Order: sequence, then structure tokens, then C-alpha cells
Amino acid sequence: MRPGFALLVAAFAVLAGCSKADPATSQRPQEIRLWVAPNEAEESFWKVAVARWNKSGLGMPVSFTTIPTTGSSEDAVLSSLVAGTEPDISSNMFSGFAVQIADLKQLQPLSSMPGYQALIIGRHMQGLIRNWTVNGNVYAIPIYSNPTLIWWRSDILARYGFRQAPRTYQDVYQLSRRYAEAEHRYGFQVAAGCNWEDRWFDFIAYYYAASNGRPYIANGKAVFDNAAGLKVAAFMDTMYKQGWTAGDCDPEEPLVSGLVAGASHGPWDIGRFEHMYPDTMKHIVIGPMLTDATSVTQTATFADSKGIVLFKNSKVKDQAFAFIAWVLGNDQLNLLWLEKTGMMPARADLLTNPVFKPYFASHPMAKIYADYVNVAVPPALNENTIDIQKAMSLQLVGALANGTKTPAVALADAERQIERILKVHQ
Amino acid sequence: MRLADKFSDPQFGAVLALSYLAFSAVFWAYPFVWLLILSVSDWRFFDAPTFSGLHNLFVVLRDPEFWTGLWNVIRFFAIFFPIAFLGSLGFAFGLQQVRHGKAFVALCFLLANISSGVAFSLVFKKLFSSTGPINNILFAWFGYRIPWMSDPNFAMLAIALVVSWKFVGYYGLILYSGLQTVPKDIYDAALLDHTPPLTRLFRITLPMINAQLIMVLVFTILVSFSIFTEAYLITGGGPLDSTNTPMMVIYETAFRRLQPTHAAMMSIIVAAASYALIRVMRVLFEREVKLA
Repeated sequence: MRPGFALLVAAFAVLAGCSKADPATSQRPQEIRLWVAPNEAEESFWKVAVARWNKSGLGMPVSFTTIPTTGSSEDAVLSSLVAGTEPDISSNMFSGFAVQIADLKQLQPLSSMPGYQALIIGRHMQGLIRNWTVNGNVYAIPIYSNPTLIWWRSDILARYGFRQAPRTYQDVYQLSRRYAEAEHRYGFQVAAGCNWEDRWFDFIAYYYAASNGRPYIANGKAVFDNAAGLKVAAFMDTMYKQGWTAGDCDPEEPLVSGLVAGASHGPWDIGRFEHMYPDTMKHIVIGPMLTDATSVTQTATFADSKGIVLFKNSKVKDQAFAFIAWVLGNDQLNLLWLEKTGMMPARADLLTNPVFKPYFASHPMAKIYADYVNVAVPPALNENTIDIQKAMSLQLVGALANGTKTPAVALADAERQIERILKVHQ
Repeated sequence: MRLADKFSDPQFGAVLALSYLAFSAVFWAYPFVWLLILSVSDWRFFDAPTFSGLHNLFVVLRDPEFWTGLWNVIRFFAIFFPIAFLGSLGFAFGLQQVRHGKAFVALCFLLANISSGVAFSLVFKKLFSSTGPINNILFAWFGYRIPWMSDPNFAMLAIALVVSWKFVGYYGLILYSGLQTVPKDIYDAALLDHTPPLTRLFRITLPMINAQLIMVLVFTILVSFSIFTEAYLITGGGPLDSTNTPMMVIYETAFRRLQPTHAAMMSIIVAAASYALIRVMRVLFEREVKLA
């Protein structure tokens, strides 16, 4: 760096707050600071978990606050990292953002912490954690893993001759032919929304189902322009062309109004619908993610999953990880999480562990979701997640919705643009 | 002795201006210089910035999303300006005719301008939804729904209508103030000459309020380049990036892609483009108004 530029930068960087306090001169903290998702359900879980930990005397006390409300959790975490005011631990971290800040050396690799292996084995996460591993390191351990499944209105299905939830594209076509009316109502909500994150719940979920859970990004390359990808694109194209799905990205609760007969939902919607739309909820049946195959009994799907991270600058890493391992490894706390949030703890033994059996016996809809945890795949671990999914939105889903490309061309264009994005950032 | 007596007039003026200068130094000059430094640096929040010359410029110029954002400014302006201009002119003429409660009427229109962008964006999002009240009425009456959110052109029109609603009252008051300054004698003379209304409008009224019109023109250009909240909340930049604006691209580049130096360069280019367009418009349309 040129001396003049360096001096100028240094002066402004100091003023901008880029310099952090010297760890050696700072006081050693007396407690572990934890940030949790700003929603009532998760907050109520952490309130109990932290109180139990602090009462047990097993380690350094923990104090928690919700992630400060800004644009998003990621904005708040980023601001705190830049200002040097980050906590020791944060929950509610989406995998793409964890990879981004791990790449900027702000996260502690959890896989290097003592007790990590015992936690993974004890929580039955050996299979699940593979999808959270980057270059041999795990920077975020998933707290929950919510499979995405399709909700159908059983009253509509029955009226149009369906005894069970549609499982294949052909089933959906058949239902749509009977139920859909131009610009009035539709068979199925194909696109989950307009924003980049909505691709998790439409194209990526359909692709996982069609490809039996194969990745769409592998070894730094886009790999979805194949037979499975083409089947998905053709399905979406047919639905749009026939007018069997709405072009609007954001219809308001289309299942409730009967605008559609089916739409993707996660387990977090069970409690919400029971509370807000009890009449609709009485008629909801859950079906698997759609494919073109009739023989598959358990179809792969997308897992909406968020994890917990430990920041690199924490001065109490060992104590903080001990708390993480205690919370995630404790079966009773996992049950409490399930009860408070309705979201599936990321573990493979949900249906075999006796601790959870009473819960699933009294919550049959949640049990259906638990059944899919092992075949639910999280998003590709990539620091360019946003650009990748924006390219999918623009070149693929948007193009099919507007009828500007054939499925094959849309798929090829999306893959080509993503290839370019990945190449630039390599 | 009073404080003012201790200083000469220029000194006293300088003292009074100091608070403003200090404010500007902290909240304008400092961020601006930091922005300039970032635009020619390589920095990702946590490391030390290093000089990178024009690298950020080349990266930004190769970014298709940034160009789409700039093109969308032109598309937005092409829809927004006529709506806002005609709307505010109509408002100004209408306000002239109001005899009682003029301040109340003006305030009602101005309320839109000071309302929370987030709040009214959410309201308009519901209104424009395919199952929203506007489309439900259209479908009930005419059997047709307007694809406000799914058609690229209708989506931009929806954003332009929302922003126009916000600014029509404000711009209207600016034009109204201009109308108040036009001497009545000129209209009286025109009436004696039997000058038709449209000729009076184009030959007297509009030329006489040129300063106010230019002011509104400049404001609409600035608004077109700085749209964020409405597009971000109503359409999210879609469909097909048709409502993606430079401000959204800058925000996502800095805080989602974690590339603040690229975002800094983008903001400089956007500022330069808006300044250039304003200069061109002023050269083309600004006239000095002289009463002989």
C-alpha cells in the first residue's frame, strides 16, 4: 500500500470504528453472550434452556438477548462484527451467511472444538452434518431441519375425486384440469414467491425430489441442468402455460381462500394455521414433495435449516462450546424445542428416540414432517447463495412464469449464469 | 455585553455557521471521503483496506445487475415523471380554486409525503396483489385481473403510481407557490386579447413558473435514482429484475454479497449519472423568466 493512502485509510478506519479493543488489555468476560432469533417461540425456548444451564452450575453463566431488530438477522450480525460488539454465540444463522463470514475468518470451526464428535454422535447427526461441512470444517451446527412438504385442502380434493394427496406431476395436472378456472383459482402454487430465498421452497425443493436429493451445486459448479432438472422445469412450464398456477408471486394465504388446492409449507405453519385458520386446518392433508415417479415412497425434499455459530473473537470459546454441546445434546431440551417452536430438531432419531414418541403420538402432522427429516437436504453451502438463487429466479422461474423461454433453454441459461458467478468468485 | 457585540458581523456569522459546518463535516464530508477511499480499495469489512486502483470500477461495469438497475431508473422516470408532473400540476391548479380550508387540503396531500415508506408500501402491496381489492373489483366487474406483480411493465407502473401518490402533494405545493407569483395583469391582458385557455397555459403559465417546474423536474430525477423502500417491499425487484433499482443493487452488494468497495464504486457512478442527467435537463429546459 502506498504510504499516503495507508495513512489516510488508517485515519478514517479508526474513525469508522474498524479498530477493535486489544483483547489482551480487555477484562475477561464473566458470562457467555448469546443471541437468539427474534421470535416469541424461540425466545421462550432459550429462556428455559438458559435458566436451566445457569442453575445447573455446569459452566460459565449465559445471558441471552434476541438479535437486534434491523433489516435481518444477517444485517445485525454483520454490523456487530464490524463494530466489534458481536456476542460469543448466535443462533438463527442460515448456512450461506455462515459460509460467507467463515470465509472472512469470523467464525470458529466447531469441528475443532473438544466434545464436537461426541455431540454429533450423541445427537445422531452424522448424516445430517455432511451437508454443513465446508473443506472439512463445520462452522455452524444445525439446530433444526424442517422438511418442506405440500399441504392440500382435503375438502377440495374430495370434491374433485381425489381420495389422497397428489404425489406426482400427473396427479397435479389432473386435479388442476378439474379445479382451476382462468384467473379465478388454480390447482397448485408453483412459485413460493418473488425473492431469491423463495427458490428454496420451489425449484430447489422440486429438484431435490426429482433427483433423489442430489446437489444442485457441487465442487463449485452448477449441476442441475440434467434429466431431473428438466423434469422440474417442464412441470413448472406446464403449470404456467395451462394457467393452473398464479403468476402473482404473493397471493395472500391461497390455501385459506381456496385460490389454490395445494402449496408448499413447513412445520412452523402447523401452529400458525391452527391458531389463525382453524377451519382451514381441519381440511389440511400433507403430501410429499412432487415428482414424476409413482414408485418412490419417501421423496427427498428441501430442509429449511438454521444453525448455531461461535464467533472467532469470543474469549470464552471452550465455555461457549460446552454450552452449545449441552443444549443441542440434551434430549429433553430438544423435546422442549419441538414443543415450543414446532420445528424439527436436526437429528436422525426423532421417530425412534422414546423421548419424542409421546409428542409425535399427540401431533400427527408433526410426525409426518419428522418422517422426512432424514431425506430433507439443506441448501448448497456456498457464499454466493444469493447470486445463485437470483440467477435461478431471473433465468429459470421468472422466465418460465412469463413464458419467455422453453424449459430446456431456461435451465441451460440459469446454469450458465451461475457458472459465471461461481467462476468470478473462485 | 452581548455575544454579538464581541464579534464583527462576519465573525459572528462564522460562529453561527460553525454548528452547520461541524454537522456537515461529521455527517457528510467524512462519509463522503471514506466512500471515495473505499471505491478505490479492496476491503471486506474486517481486513485493512488496500489500494486497488480502478479494479472496482471494472468489476462494477461488468455487473449486469447494476446495468439493469440503471436501465430501470430510465424506465421508472419515463412513467413516474408524466404522472407526477401532471398530477402535481392538477393539484396546484385545483388548490387555486379552493376558497375555504386551503391549508387543510394541502396538508391532506402532504401527509402522503411524510408517511412511513414501509407502512404504505405494505398497504399498496396488498392493494396490488392478484387477490387484492383492486383486482377483485376488476374481476367482479370486467372478469379481468391486472398482473401488477407478475408483468415487468405493470410492476414498474405499480411502483411509479405508489411513488407518485407520495410526491404529488409535495410537488403540487411547489408549483402552487409558482402560480401565486404570476402577475394577474398578464392574464387580464391575455383575456382582453381573447387568448384561448391552452395558449394561456403554454405561453403564460408554464413559462412563468419555469423555476418551479425545473425544481420539480430535478426532484423527480433524484427520486428516480434513489428508489429503494417501495421497490424493495412491494416487488422485491422482480419480476425478472424489472423493478430492481441501483439502490437495491448497492444495498445487496454491500450487505448481502459483503462487497462494500464494489458498492461504494456503484454509488459514485449512480451519483455521477444523476448529476449528469440533471445538468442535461437544466441546459435543455431551464429558462430565465423576465418581465419586460
